[in-house]
Amino acid sequence: MTLAVSPTSFPPAKAQRRPSPRPRRSASTSTFGISLVTLTGLIALWFLAARFGWASPLFLPSPADVLTQFSAVAADGYANGTLLDHTLASLGRIAAALGVGIFVGIPLGLLMGLNRWVKGIFSVPIDLYWGLPPLAYLPLLIIWLGIGETSKIVLLSLSTFAPICFAAQAGVRSVPVERINAALSLGASRVQLFTSIVLPSALPEILTGLKIAIGAGLSTLVAAELIAAQSGLGYMIMSAANFLATDVVFVGLIVIAVLAFAFTSGMRWLEHRLIPWKGKL
Amino acid sequence: MLRIRDVSVTFPASDGQDVHALDHVSLDIAPASIVVAVGASGCGKSTLLNAIAGFLPLTEGTITLDGQEIVAPGGDRGVVFQKDTLLPWANVLDNVALGLKYRGVSRGERHERSRHLLELVGLADFAEKPPYELSGGMRQRVGIARALATDPKILLMDEPFGALDSLTRETMQQLLASVWAKTGKQILFITHSIEEALTLGTTIVVMSPRPGRIVACFDADFVRDFAESGDIGPIQSHRRFIELRQEIRSLIHQPEGARTGTLQ
Repeated sequence: MTLAVSPTSFPPAKAQRRPSPRPRRSASTSTFGISLVTLTGLIALWFLAARFGWASPLFLPSPADVLTQFSAVAADGYANGTLLDHTLASLGRIAAALGVGIFVGIPLGLLMGLNRWVKGIFSVPIDLYWGLPPLAYLPLLIIWLGIGETSKIVLLSLSTFAPICFAAQAGVRSVPVERINAALSLGASRVQLFTSIVLPSALPEILTGLKIAIGAGLSTLVAAELIAAQSGLGYMIMSAANFLATDVVFVGLIVIAVLAFAFTSGMRWLEHRLIPWKGKL
Repeated sequence: MLRIRDVSVTFPASDGQDVHALDHVSLDIAPASIVVAVGASGCGKSTLLNAIAGFLPLTEGTITLDGQEIVAPGGDRGVVFQKDTLLPWANVLDNVALGLKYRGVSRGERHERSRHLLELVGLADFAEKPPYELSGGMRQRVGIARALATDPKILLMDEPFGALDSLTRETMQQLLASVWAKTGKQILFITHSIEEALTLGTTIVVMSPRPGRIVACFDADFVRDFAESGDIGPIQSHRRFIELRQEIRSLIHQPEGARTGTLQ
């Protein structure tokens, strides 16, 4: 090899000639203030509506009532459990479902993207059930698996599995062919090609699928708990609604909103950590 | 020595009329030479490169590298693509070291060799940067360093400077000439620029489309001067350069019917 040359006469590139880093970030931080004002405005409007009796407390409880009810539900509980019990019950179900979605959906989706046979076998059943509204087949799951946790976790797993599986499959197919050719001409084996090129290339799509799965999982979760459960935020909301305890309904809704927001922020953080390069090259 | 013998590549087209991207092409690439294939778009020059790289199957003929027939992509042929194919999740150093990693070279050794190559292409200060913070020209330099890292027998370059602005392009041509002078690699370079072909090639292969064939070969020696002086001006105003440029231009722009058969 004749590459053993000492520092060359070729001029090194200058360090300052670099594109300016991410103009996008400043755009996203600049909307933060606006969003904060909107949120404050909405809460203020709620205060005013309750204060001047624009709506009956039965329909719109005052923020103070909701706050009082919040601490009451948190301390003494409502519908067979404290607020923490219900929240943990819901979170446990969604965590189990996301676990199934991730540990079954990602490998299967990757295989479907790589192999014609696997794709041929699995795409029809997945396409068929994914088109169905989950609540339509919940009664069937209850008949098969009973009213307990199993039927709910299976239902939720089905709704988180499909978007993750589709995303992993799309991720594999989105790998640029030049990137694969480049790796092959650098001497990559099939295994190296998969671990060093295909998997990281598919990661942005997989994370997008995970976001969709969390959304689908949350909405299915609450709906399932509304229909058939003895615990969980959906169950708490439904019980409260039966007694026209609108303030408790609000407490449940706020907790769900906070959870959804936490999931979204967590995913954004994960994307920032795992794929800071997304869309850059 | 790379030997291309009677190679044809035919693509099936949607209208049923097969496209003859390459029609019985024969060519030898000797060690330490830069063969530049030049021609209008559709003349099969990129197909030729992809066939040598092993990215597409031959319809007819054989390609051998040092006696071994080429059937698939492999580490003995380094490829530099028109659009850079760096991995955005790895920094510049790890991108250059990728081929060495595939070979199981230890981390310390592959980083040392990669740093050396980054020095060769003038990017020593950028080793830790992610590739997306580099300009297009710098990214192509990383691509060249990456292709050289595994010490391939031949370097295949598919219009590597085609997407760069003309000033960066000149710098890159200079870089390539100096890398070639230092390493003595055999190189196949694809371009649609006649000036680039004459500046860089020790052999210039003129190709014509439909079907893709070699219509003429010229020997040139401007690249040695260029590697030494680094100055493109005197070379391009050389009388022989201007004559050759005119000759190649008229070959490329000749109406299709007027061409004679393959000279090779």
